[in-house]
Amino acid sequence: MIKLENIDTYYGSSHVIQDLSLEVEAGAAVSILGRNGVGKTTTLRSIMGLTPPKDGRVLIGDEEVAGWAPHKIARLGVAYVPAERHIFPALSVEENLKLAEANAEREGAWTLERVYEYFPVLGERRRSGGTKLSGGEQQMLAIGRALMGNPSIMLLDEPSQGLSPILVAKVAQIVSELCKEYGITLLLVEQNFRIALAMAERHYLMGTKSKIQGEVSSQEIIDDQELIKRTLAI
Amino acid sequence: MGFIATTVDIILNSLVLGGVLLIVSVGLNIIYGLNRVMNLAHGSLYALGAFAGYTIVAVGANYFIALLLAPIVVGVVGLVIERILIRPMRQRHMIYTLILTYGLMFVMDGLLKYFWGVETRFIHLPEFMRQTVSLGPVSYPVFRLVILIGIAAVVAALMLLLGRTRLGINMRAASDIPEMVSSCGINVRGVQISAFVLGCMLAGTAGVLAGPLFTVFPDMGHEMLISSFVVVVIGGLGSLRGAIVAALLVGFVQTLAEFFITDLAMVMVYMLMALILVFKPLGILGEGKFE
Repeated sequence: MIKLENIDTYYGSSHVIQDLSLEVEAGAAVSILGRNGVGKTTTLRSIMGLTPPKDGRVLIGDEEVAGWAPHKIARLGVAYVPAERHIFPALSVEENLKLAEANAEREGAWTLERVYEYFPVLGERRRSGGTKLSGGEQQMLAIGRALMGNPSIMLLDEPSQGLSPILVAKVAQIVSELCKEYGITLLLVEQNFRIALAMAERHYLMGTKSKIQGEVSSQEIIDDQELIKRTLAI
Repeated sequence: MGFIATTVDIILNSLVLGGVLLIVSVGLNIIYGLNRVMNLAHGSLYALGAFAGYTIVAVGANYFIALLLAPIVVGVVGLVIERILIRPMRQRHMIYTLILTYGLMFVMDGLLKYFWGVETRFIHLPEFMRQTVSLGPVSYPVFRLVILIGIAAVVAALMLLLGRTRLGINMRAASDIPEMVSSCGINVRGVQISAFVLGCMLAGTAGVLAGPLFTVFPDMGHEMLISSFVVVVIGGLGSLRGAIVAALLVGFVQTLAEFFITDLAMVMVYMLMALILVFKPLGILGEGKFE
């Protein structure tokens, strides 16, 4: 479970997130939809502890984690897949995965072999440099690396960035299935509402300065195609 | 000496000099790569390693014991420096630690002179190392060969550490994207501190290795600091492979120049650096990371 209560986060001197509250119940798949620059990424970074909020509460399960170091938050079972993937260029594919495995102190079954079963291409290229992979393969590696920590929560930032529509659909499908199968809570951030629809069942519509303009189900978006355009001007 | 003898002599001396330069500059590189601290006190840590080695031998221990213990002494000093001086500066611009370590260099050099005096010291070597050995046409001092083997062992150990161990993987990852390392559940600050201590230990190791070659005196670190900067610039900041190539290159150029045009040896080295800076600003392999 993730719960944000009235958080305020600054990026340098700019007040990016103002009084944001939201909640993702355990096992749910929720998206934050919004245009570029409204604070979607900063929301995920606030949860992960990378840009800690100055004010407000961040709850992961029963723990209040605002102000914790990112590695402590990660060890609670929170995995982060940034939009840039952040594959380590000096590490091979396998080392990128191993790095995340070592410090997962939680009991869990994710191993190199299982990641390679889900993403055979990573197994085939296990000795290649991480950033030698194509964009889609790097996205899979970033997701595989997140899984190696046996997460109960996955924070996924714009999986569509830089990928072809076919690849995006494939990645979306794999992640959705994985999260359902293993009960991983998914918080997804997107500009593209079709991807959000494919992966999440509930959506926060975020406007400028992280203001939540509405909270809708996938069905409501499907029923009213103009809804997104009206609220977010996407 | 015949041509072949001279050639073998120059090659071996270049390797020894290049090897010492390599260990010092890799230490500098690792500290910078993980901490974004350009450690100007690095040469003084090198000198401290030599003096620690000298003292350990002077109180009766074997040179090889000194080779193991002196780096640990320097590592502990490095940890104290990190905890007391570097830690409060971590969130600030690199220029703060640059000036801080510049000051630290003078403090450390002063302390070396205070405790050991200004006279040149000689590390007492075991009997067998004071012999010479015939390598074909050349008769070469055994201690230089032992030091060459020592350098090779240190470089091999370092490659194993960086290439095969968990800490090595974490270090390589954190030199590029520290934030993502911590997002993967790793205490990245711990990795950075380890890298700082490791870098200091490498300076200390180079100091004990170089002691018998260049003798031990308080200012011995100054020239080594400058030379290791040259290696780092030529190799590209943050590039281990570049540092290896650059250290050997500088070793050869300096040794050759010393043989033919002694007074201009360092001039040749700096001209080489200037050429690389102009034509290959990211280092000889183009792998450098300047920020």
